[in-house]
Amino acid sequence: MNNKIQKVAEEAKTNISNCQTQQDIDLVYLEVFGKNGTFTNLIKEISKIRKSDRPKFGQLINAAKKTLDGILKEKQASLKLQKERKFIDVTAPGKKRELGHLHLVSQAIEEIVSIFSQLGFQPASYPEIDWDWYAFESLNMPKNHPARDDWETFFIKGEPKSKLGNQVLTPHTSNGQVREMEKIKKPPIRMLNIARCYRRQIDISHTPMFHQFEGLLVDKNVSIADLKGTFDYFTTRFFGPKRVTRLRPHHFRFTEPSFEVDVTCSICKGRGCRLCKDGWLELGGAGMVHPKVLAAGKIDHNKYSGFAFGWGVERTIAMRTDLDDIRLLYQNDIRFLKQF
Amino acid sequence: MNIKFPVSWLREYLKTDLAAKTLANHLSLSGPSVERITKHKEDFIFDVEVTSNRPDAASVFGVAREANAILAYRNEQAKLIEPKGLNLILEPDISKRLKLDVVIKNKSLCSRFTAIVMDNVTIKPSPAIIRNRLEAAGTRSINNIVDISNYLMLELGQPMHTFDYDKVKNAKMILRESEEGEKIVTLDNQTRKLPKGAIVIEDQKRLIDLCGIMGGANSQISNRTKRVILFVQAYNQLAIRKTTQALSFRTEAASRFEKGVDTEFIPQALSRAVYLAKKTSGAKIASELIDIYTGKRKTKQISLELNKLKSYLNTDIYPGSALKILKLLGFTANTSSSKITATAPSWRAEDIEDDVDLIEEVARIYGYHNLESKLPEGPIPEKSNDELKKTINLKESLKFQGLTEVMTYSIISKDLLNLAQIKEKGMVELSNPLTEEWQFMRPTLLISLAQVIGKNQNLKSDLKIFEIAKTYLKNPNELPKQDLMLSVCLQNSNFYEIKGLIEQMFQTQNKEAKWQKLSENHRLFEKDETAEITIDRQKIGTVGILSSKTTDYFDIKGKISAAEINLSNVYDLPSSAKTYKPIPKYPPIIEDISAIFSNSTPLEGIISAVRKAGSPLVRNIEVIDIFEDEKLGVNKKSVTLRLTYQRSDRTPIQEEVNETRNNISKHLEKSFLAKIRK
Repeated sequence: MNNKIQKVAEEAKTNISNCQTQQDIDLVYLEVFGKNGTFTNLIKEISKIRKSDRPKFGQLINAAKKTLDGILKEKQASLKLQKERKFIDVTAPGKKRELGHLHLVSQAIEEIVSIFSQLGFQPASYPEIDWDWYAFESLNMPKNHPARDDWETFFIKGEPKSKLGNQVLTPHTSNGQVREMEKIKKPPIRMLNIARCYRRQIDISHTPMFHQFEGLLVDKNVSIADLKGTFDYFTTRFFGPKRVTRLRPHHFRFTEPSFEVDVTCSICKGRGCRLCKDGWLELGGAGMVHPKVLAAGKIDHNKYSGFAFGWGVERTIAMRTDLDDIRLLYQNDIRFLKQF
Repeated sequence: MNIKFPVSWLREYLKTDLAAKTLANHLSLSGPSVERITKHKEDFIFDVEVTSNRPDAASVFGVAREANAILAYRNEQAKLIEPKGLNLILEPDISKRLKLDVVIKNKSLCSRFTAIVMDNVTIKPSPAIIRNRLEAAGTRSINNIVDISNYLMLELGQPMHTFDYDKVKNAKMILRESEEGEKIVTLDNQTRKLPKGAIVIEDQKRLIDLCGIMGGANSQISNRTKRVILFVQAYNQLAIRKTTQALSFRTEAASRFEKGVDTEFIPQALSRAVYLAKKTSGAKIASELIDIYTGKRKTKQISLELNKLKSYLNTDIYPGSALKILKLLGFTANTSSSKITATAPSWRAEDIEDDVDLIEEVARIYGYHNLESKLPEGPIPEKSNDELKKTINLKESLKFQGLTEVMTYSIISKDLLNLAQIKEKGMVELSNPLTEEWQFMRPTLLISLAQVIGKNQNLKSDLKIFEIAKTYLKNPNELPKQDLMLSVCLQNSNFYEIKGLIEQMFQTQNKEAKWQKLSENHRLFEKDETAEITIDRQKIGTVGILSSKTTDYFDIKGKISAAEINLSNVYDLPSSAKTYKPIPKYPPIIEDISAIFSNSTPLEGIISAVRKAGSPLVRNIEVIDIFEDEKLGVNKKSVTLRLTYQRSDRTPIQEEVNETRNNISKHLEKSFLAKIRK
């Protein structure tokens, strides 16, 4: 009996070693361990053996089976190894799906929204054609005030309304300030309004349509320190860790005190070069919300204070990408759009 | 406004050893910004930006006054020196008096009127120092008398005028409001037709001055002038502003007058003019001083709570420091235990209105750079549901579908508007457009997108572009309807390509749209190749092929498939929430069924018929193939559907599948006269 086992095992071993593919292995497995396999048949012969010899036979069979199993697995593993050794040129280009491009302005907006969201500023959107009241008058700019000249405003044809006045193409996103106060009613307010704005001017740094983002924070005990901290947070994330901001006195009717916010120049790192003003680039305007604006938004200015800022998206892009003519952004040349 | 002047001029009034650059830096951080420093011979020129609320600082002396306060607070060595001749005794020098009759018809036009007549004038070039300073500041030197006006305006911020006394008929001046249509030839030799309400001066018979804006040519100083009137005023700011707007003509003098000048300082300015006239032309005072002061401005006392100051600055500033700053800036100020009371100097009367104005003065001189920087504390407001974030996500998903975003102007020309055959009446029109190219607010983005394709078609033949922006439609008595639109254009494409794209777009938005044939003609689309989409019976967009009229206009070769979807409407709709359905335990039986239909039979109807007839065994229907062929017959199409038969309790048996299939076939034959293909 022992010989018989050995014979079957030897035969199986030879067959296994001759296998070239996984399929061959499967076939051999069936030939040996299948329903009618050589080894299976061998086991069936146990009934013909004397009872006293049966345990020994069982041990022999099991040992042989274990050995064969091991050989099979080894063979399988070695076949797999051979198969994987296929040469590919990793430097050849991969298969790609066609990918589009987002406009530079959108990319900047996305980034700005995400940075200010981290500080709890909620995006809001307000009309791009709005009443004079929201664009000027509620912002402490009465009719005929010379400060209005700073905004080269487009007006819409039509009859004015008594309190609201004419319709204008918003020359800034600040129309969102009083609208947000009316919507929220009770501070805290942390708003971010990004919209298209319009002014009657065109040159290499101005297009009649542009984008602005406006931040408004109203709460108890808001200070200039909070505003500085917010700008520093934005600047280091948007422009890079080594850039810093500074405030210069400025004047806007709807903030008091008012500031111009500068950021250190990327080229000279603040030392001063021909592209900047003594190491600084102008980012935009900001200030502490004027009590009259809070009053126009029906918020108690004895209880609450706040800060606001409004900056041009195109300007921040130009500052980051060395874009020297902002008009390119709206010419929609596909060769330009594909660069970003 | 910006003013330019040489630093040496500034140093005449501000004695300091600080270098020009250091000086500029102090000014920029705490006062008017020095935007540029340029070298000019041995000197530097400062280009200073002065904000519109600070006309008092828009002069060399004004800047010196600011710098002095800033430097003094920082313990830098500095001293302010007043210009010479501010306080002359203005009495006639000669016995032969010259008369000047002044009548002010309407007192509200001129809050302070001063004038004095000078005799014995010799017209010649100004001394070199005046000529050089004016030229460095960008002003042309004319002669010793005319230059006084320009010099004084730059030095003190007070505009003034000079008349040839002998050209003022009968030495009479009547200051009044203009009548509509009156004419005056101004110094630049332009004839100006005046609106009603301009401030003018008339002599015996004609207009000789367009006050505050520009003098009349008929009374100007010439080389033969012997006697002059020196003339310093403060005018009604609104009247000046309205006149400059009506005439579209603004001078530097006008822009200063409309912002307001320091009425208290006017006699000193006139005194300085007399001083300069005497010095540069040998003139002698030949009249009494005329000073008609009817509009004295009141400077109000303002009180500022110290707690508010500390809260704004987030620092414990000493009341004494705040007081020192205000006094350095010319305020009269006092402090008590809890507040500061202060009155602004006359040159700041208009600018200082509230306690926050005092906070600004203290904070800027204290130095914004000396304040702390910290993140805002306090609660973060509740999240609002906003379309901006949805739009950002949508743009991202379109980008990964291979589309490129463009951004085009929201203002379009009449020509483009006409292309869309939209009635101008319903459109939003600008009343002061910059050019004809930008005249109407667009009601659709598609025209602009077609224009972009036209412009780029020589560079690329398979442009896929989109834009998301607001569109505008007139809304009587209200603000225009300003809905957010998504527009897509695919170059050299067909209906099904754009339909697939839009279907997937709705999939990402969790919305299910219904597609149907266009119910009425659309001005920009081909009627037979365009669909209308609705969600919950609300029309939310149009998808199809752009009309050849549109593409021809931009010389576009090939078809453009396009879509315009009203995102404001889409965002407002509830999105269908996804719920879990158990994954089937038993395998389905999948079979295809093909049939021939009339080619006008909508697939949607076929599918819903199959769904109905196949219920409940048919769980899924997929369109595998649609084709038309002559062999099928005229106007026929073959449709192949893949049906999934499935049960949740066991695998379906062949008999029940057969029965359902027969039922479906019968239904299709009966309802659509379809021919089942075997």
